Amino acid sequence: MSGLVCWPVARATLRARLRSPGPWLVGFLFTIAGAVRASRHGAGIETFSGPGTIWFIVLTFALGAAILSEEIESGHAQLVLLRPITRAAWYGGRLAGVTLAMALFCVIAWLATFSAAVVRGDGFDATRFASLLLALVWGCAWLSVLTCLSSFLPRWTNAGALAVLILAWILLFGIVATLKPAWAGVVDTVTKFLGPQDPMMFSEPTRPRRDLGPALYDLIWIFAPWVLGVAILNRRELARRRS
Amino acid sequence: MESTPALELRGVSKRFPLRGGGDFAALEDVSLEVRPGEIVALLGPNGAGKTTSMQLALGLLDADAGEARLFGGDPELLATRRRIGYAPDAPLFPKELTGLEVLTLHGEVIGLHRREAKARASRFAAEVGIAEPARRRIATYSRGQQQRLGVALSLLGDPDLLLLDEPTAGLDPAGVAAMRELLVGLRARGAAVLLNSHLLSEVERVCDRVLFLKGGRLLRSHEMRARGLRAEIRLANAPELAARAPELVASGLDGNRLRLEVPGEEAVPLLVRKLVEAGAEIVEVRLAGADLEQLYLEIVEGRA
Repeated sequence: MSGLVCWPVARATLRARLRSPGPWLVGFLFTIAGAVRASRHGAGIETFSGPGTIWFIVLTFALGAAILSEEIESGHAQLVLLRPITRAAWYGGRLAGVTLAMALFCVIAWLATFSAAVVRGDGFDATRFASLLLALVWGCAWLSVLTCLSSFLPRWTNAGALAVLILAWILLFGIVATLKPAWAGVVDTVTKFLGPQDPMMFSEPTRPRRDLGPALYDLIWIFAPWVLGVAILNRRELARRRS
Repeated sequence: MESTPALELRGVSKRFPLRGGGDFAALEDVSLEVRPGEIVALLGPNGAGKTTSMQLALGLLDADAGEARLFGGDPELLATRRRIGYAPDAPLFPKELTGLEVLTLHGEVIGLHRREAKARASRFAAEVGIAEPARRRIATYSRGQQQRLGVALSLLGDPDLLLLDEPTAGLDPAGVAAMRELLVGLRARGAAVLLNSHLLSEVERVCDRVLFLKGGRLLRSHEMRARGLRAEIRLANAPELAARAPELVASGLDGNRLRLEVPGEEAVPLLVRKLVEAGAEIVEVRLAGADLEQLYLEIVEGRA
């Protein structure tokens, strides 16, 4: 067990997540979406682009919903935290566990897409493996945000609130772009700083990016919400004890 | 006996805010201790402050006044937490996992290697009587099985101090008997146990000391063995015996039952021998501690 991540907690979280039917259903659709679109020249990338992006985000939200709150509200977190373990390690364990679950679904979906592309005549190209790694960073960043929100929002409302925020922002973006086309550029720039960035743009042939900027930026979105979430969890726990 | 108490509350008070304003005193200036090798029960009506006392001792709640100490130190210390076990009332566990997986998780968090944690998980699941259900997912458990799993969790690290909140709630008679044996075994190896239960008969049988709480105040600490044991003897010829040996039966005769106070279990064979010599035809002999129910009514309810 490291100070940041309690691996037994991570393993238990992974097991619990893999036994829920919801993520498997979404994971299946995610896999199919990628495999169906697999082309000869884009093997692997289709998993995380186009409709695959949507399924990937839905999968991430399904896995990250109530990731801390379910344990806190049931009282099991309290029992675990009575053991010789810090709240930070428990938090890290939950985040690591759900990230491993997401990674598993991603690997399955990516392999399905890759295999479909090979069947269609694509040759093996190891560089396409990068799309999987970039997607994992992106997904992990979203999971980190969801975990942070779950440290203070009840039940699954972490996923609900985040989904509503994203949809509201997209709606606002659309309204601004229609009514004030001149502002669209500004809103687009601001959007880049609101939440993890899609690093697939880097490998997407139709939307070329020349650097690893989004992926590095997403690393900040992994660690910043993590630190913030642990601080919130500590603060709330101390407040609960005093109340 | 180790001189430092395993658990100590000193002048602890705790108030909870009420929704409509004001607050509610859950505990007021309560001091208590549990020493190694001692089983102590907290008795009192609902809302007396029994669970709050446990949560304060464990550091799950902060006291408004006074302090809680475990093994003479801060309950928050990780080294202290290795030495304690806690089974809450009506525990809830991740329903997607099996009982064995939850036990293994806790074992590993304590610091056991995975293999050792798995072995202990199986051992303690069997010890509390859920060897077979522990392989199933917790979603399929009954209330009693969840309760047993909670107890198994509390035992996992061979704790020096065990806090059990209503451990017999939801248990069947076999479960209650297993729990009793477990507690006696823990005491034999020198562990301290603080127990919160409404099952007076069980408290009477296993506890060394009882603390009566009401309205957040500690009313009295009672040594269970101070009043000795009560022997209840069923006789086939009670009227004849009363006529033949009135000094033996004295005022203890009630119909065909003779109730007598004895200093301890070792005095029972001598009593039986005397009664037989006096011509008593004994059908049954039962032993019970001092009448805890009566004591409870006197102290907590104020009834004579």
